[in-house]
Amino acid sequence: MIEQLRYVRLSVDNLGQAADFAQRVLGLEPIDRTDNMATFRSDFRDHTLAFVAGAPGSQAPQCTGFEVRYSTDLNDAAERLSKLGITTQRGTADQCALRKVKDMLGFTDFTGNHIELVVRPLNSGWRYFPSRDAGIVGLSDVMLRSRDVEKDLTIWTALGAAVADWAGDAAYLRFDTAHHRIVLYPADRPGILAVEYAVESVNLLMRNFYVLQNLQVPVLHGPGRRPASEQLFLTFAGPGDVYYSFVAEGLSAPGPQDPNAPVDKNRPRQFPSGPEGLCGWGSDCKIAEFNATATIRN
Amino acid sequence: MIKLQDVSYARLGTQDLDGATVFATDFLGLEISHRTKTAVYFKSDSREHTLCYFDGAIADQTVAFEVAQRADLDLAATELERLGHRVETGTAADCDLRQVKSYIGFRDPTGNHIELVWRPAISGKRYHGVRDAGITGFSHVGLCTTDAVRDEAFWTQVCNARVSDRIGDAALLRIDEVHHTIALFPTNRAGIQHINHQVESGDDVMRSFNFLTERQVPMVFGPGRHPTSSARFLYFEGPDNMVFEYSSGVRDIADELLYRERQFPFEPKGFCEWGAKPEIKEFRN
Repeated sequence: MIEQLRYVRLSVDNLGQAADFAQRVLGLEPIDRTDNMATFRSDFRDHTLAFVAGAPGSQAPQCTGFEVRYSTDLNDAAERLSKLGITTQRGTADQCALRKVKDMLGFTDFTGNHIELVVRPLNSGWRYFPSRDAGIVGLSDVMLRSRDVEKDLTIWTALGAAVADWAGDAAYLRFDTAHHRIVLYPADRPGILAVEYAVESVNLLMRNFYVLQNLQVPVLHGPGRRPASEQLFLTFAGPGDVYYSFVAEGLSAPGPQDPNAPVDKNRPRQFPSGPEGLCGWGSDCKIAEFNATATIRN
Repeated sequence: MIKLQDVSYARLGTQDLDGATVFATDFLGLEISHRTKTAVYFKSDSREHTLCYFDGAIADQTVAFEVAQRADLDLAATELERLGHRVETGTAADCDLRQVKSYIGFRDPTGNHIELVWRPAISGKRYHGVRDAGITGFSHVGLCTTDAVRDEAFWTQVCNARVSDRIGDAALLRIDEVHHTIALFPTNRAGIQHINHQVESGDDVMRSFNFLTERQVPMVFGPGRHPTSSARFLYFEGPDNMVFEYSSGVRDIADELLYRERQFPFEPKGFCEWGAKPEIKEFRN
């Protein structure tokens, strides 16, 4: 069903500052800019990050976009979601145009996170040209807060994702060749917890670590290596009440269609909750959701 | 030509043997090989010991290099004396202390105390560190030089070292395939500038960075990556302001005929390609 992570839309108080962060800190390429919206490219996708002016929680809430292949898939998704008791809204022509997609279906998960499923989102025919040489190769994954991970999981499994691994009660979800594209973190409110961009290699990750120091952007977690995904990571705060990470390396998931994949490759593993399960290097962690040592599942 | 085969051990005088021992084991991660009333010997690999702290003056520092033949010691002694270096021959008791069959000692032109050893002891027991630092062995030393050109000539013409790269006037010298076993850093004193241990992986470098930072060990450079040797590194301070380094992934120079040394700038980007800035006196202008 869902085939690709496409974009993150965030509402921000100060569009100018947010755009500056996207270019100067993340090094993304600016694409469209209006009075109340700025979009940024990180790879072959037209844009993967959109900042919308407006206070958080206002009529322009945060949302995450995923690609499905056909409009009929949207009908199918609407049906599956309604069985779970979730109401969906078909996107209007204006909404689709704003997102540069042909068709879309929006819904809110049990926690209150807004999700959009889109058909034929625009790819850029022109290659990505970053604002600074951060070495970004693309949008890697998003972390979503969840009030009830088990319940929200029913949505994602209905849409074709599967649990890759557990860290405490946080669930890593995969639906393509990456170890994970979505992480559901136990939390007491909705919202996107982190947006993660993949960089070329450990060299670029560490170079960014020192660039962030020079830019006086405090690193809140990392540099480190995640035991579950084996990704290197570096997490810092940014606009829109969201954390941003650079990630590198890491495992890939054997697709369900891969007949050579050993059975236990697909078996979700349970890693410890808290920083211990999130970093194998012992890096300092200043993010509340990551420090929360939720009880291990029974 | 004095044919150095490998770096063998470092000997460091200290006024606080117990404190140095705690650092070498609990923090650095070495294993105590044996101890006497006045000295503690540490192992980092298959060798009997590669570091020794002894009761003595802090400035009393020695680096030893292994030679292959007994005759190499005699040839070296003759050559060094011809050049005006005073050479001492180790007594049987001194050899026992160092666990070598025989050795000679001398000072390089800067005044660094160097020993050439023959048949240093290998331990039958493998190294098992006090903590899981991932150490694979004692690998190289930085030496102070008060005249980089003169000392480079000493190590490359009197001895068999070759220049692998230069950072400003600081020469990184190899005596085998490893990118460097000796590095000469211009300064105004004699002594060991840093002591390097190799670790298994970049992960080990980063784990130690967090482990040592939590324990308030002063970090003086890194984590970073050397553009010269491609090694990932971390420098931190031990007892008596001695700088210790962990690194992983040092390049090999296999082709002696085709390799050309390169010139890097004597500024942070010549030392680190990630952007770390050294707080080590000899790495700064």
